[in-house]
Parts: sequence; structure tokens; C-alpha cells
Amino acid sequence: MDSAVVAIEKSNPPRRGTPVLWAFRPPVHLERLALLAQRVSGLAILVYLFFHIFVTGTVTEGRGAWESTMDTLSNPLMHLGEWLVVVAVTFHAVNGIRVLLLELTPLVGRPARPDYPYEAQSLGRGQHSLLYVAMLMTSLAGLAGIVILWGL
Amino acid sequence: MILAIFVTLGVHLATHAFLGVAGYEDSLTYDSVIGRYRALSTMLTLGVLLVAASYHGLYGLRNIVLETRWGAQRARLVSTATGLLGIVMVVWGMRTIVLTAGGS
Repeated sequence: MDSAVVAIEKSNPPRRGTPVLWAFRPPVHLERLALLAQRVSGLAILVYLFFHIFVTGTVTEGRGAWESTMDTLSNPLMHLGEWLVVVAVTFHAVNGIRVLLLELTPLVGRPARPDYPYEAQSLGRGQHSLLYVAMLMTSLAGLAGIVILWGL
Repeated sequence: MILAIFVTLGVHLATHAFLGVAGYEDSLTYDSVIGRYRALSTMLTLGVLLVAASYHGLYGLRNIVLETRWGAQRARLVSTATGLLGIVMVVWGMRTIVLTAGGS
């Protein structure tokens, strides 16, 4: 490799060890926060999935074990947790579609000469409006979750 | 993989909200759960969702951990640990599906 390139790479090593803070480094924009939210929601869903698999497994132990488990879990705090899962899944899904479209379609925008003030083509209006759609659908799912979980 | 999760998760959520049940509470009664688990369509839906969601989630977790300094220095350990966790989740979930469908 060119020694100049090596020198540049050595002076700018990839930033590691900051799984959250990068999202708040300037320039902060909605897409960065969306990536952070995508990761946080993904991790939350994975934790839920892990416990969900084992909680659901109690159905194999018979009616008594299942009803006892459901009695234990049927409280307002657990309902709040389930509501958060509904919200997280909806945001993760719709924002995931936005990211897929960015990768697979021309939504990312045409390449252009980087003139001042250097606005990234990939942060264009098309995907930005999809981000708003994701936020709107998350809000609607939150409302639907309230109706389904609390029967309001 | 993503499409499989979309379809099966959509069906799974629907069967807990309105599809064949009176509501969320009704969908969690023992008879309702057993009745659903013994239908071939449910077994297939839950089986596909279990494998696809576990893979997708753990692959994402692996990527996040590998981005940290700690994870990058232990790439093999991270891959092995997420792989083993995936095996545990899929085996336990499949156990539930098979035992319930078999009438245990």
C-alpha cells in the first residue's frame, strides 16, 4: 500500500469502542439517530425474543404451568413492556424497509459533484420522508397497541 | 429472510389480536394456545419465524459487538457465542412446537 495512504490511515484509525456516542457527534442528523434507534430497538426485540421463547415453552408442561406463568406475567408493568415491544418492532420494521430501499433502489440519489455546502446525496428528501413515515407508523402502532393491550 | 420475518410475524401478531380470537387476552388462554399450536399452518409459521428472527437478531448483535474494540479483538469468540445462543433458542423453540403439536 502507498506509504502516504498508510500514514493517513494510521493518523485516522477507525473509531471503535463507542457503540452509542458516535450518534451524537456532530454533525447530528435524524438519520444517525434513526440508526441508533434501529440498533437499540433491534437489541430490545432480541432480548424479548429470547425470553419469549422460554416463557412460551411452559405450555409444554400443561395447563397449570401455563396459567401460572400467565398469571405472573399479567400485570401493568409487563403490559407496558409488551407495548414497548410493539413500538420497537414497528419502528425497526419500517425503518428497515427504508434502509433496504436505500440499498436496492435509486432512492439514495444520483452521484453529484461535492460542491459546498457538501450535502450528502444519500441524505436526500426521498429517504428522509420515509423516515417520517416510520415515525408516523410507530406512533399509530403505539396507539393500536394501547387499544389491543388495554382494550381502550 | 427479511420477507419471511415480515410475513410470519404479521400472521403471528394477527393471531394474537383479531385472527380467530376475540382479543389479546383470549389468545393467551391455554385452550386457544394449544388449539393454534396443533394447526399445521401455525407450526410452519412459528417454525419459520423462530429460525428467521433468531438468525436476524443474533447476526445483528454479532455485528454490533464486532464494531466495539472489545468485540473486534475477540471476533471468533463473538461468532461462536452468538452461534451457540442461536442453537439454544432454535432448539428450545422447536421443542415447544413439536411437543405441543404432539399432544404433550
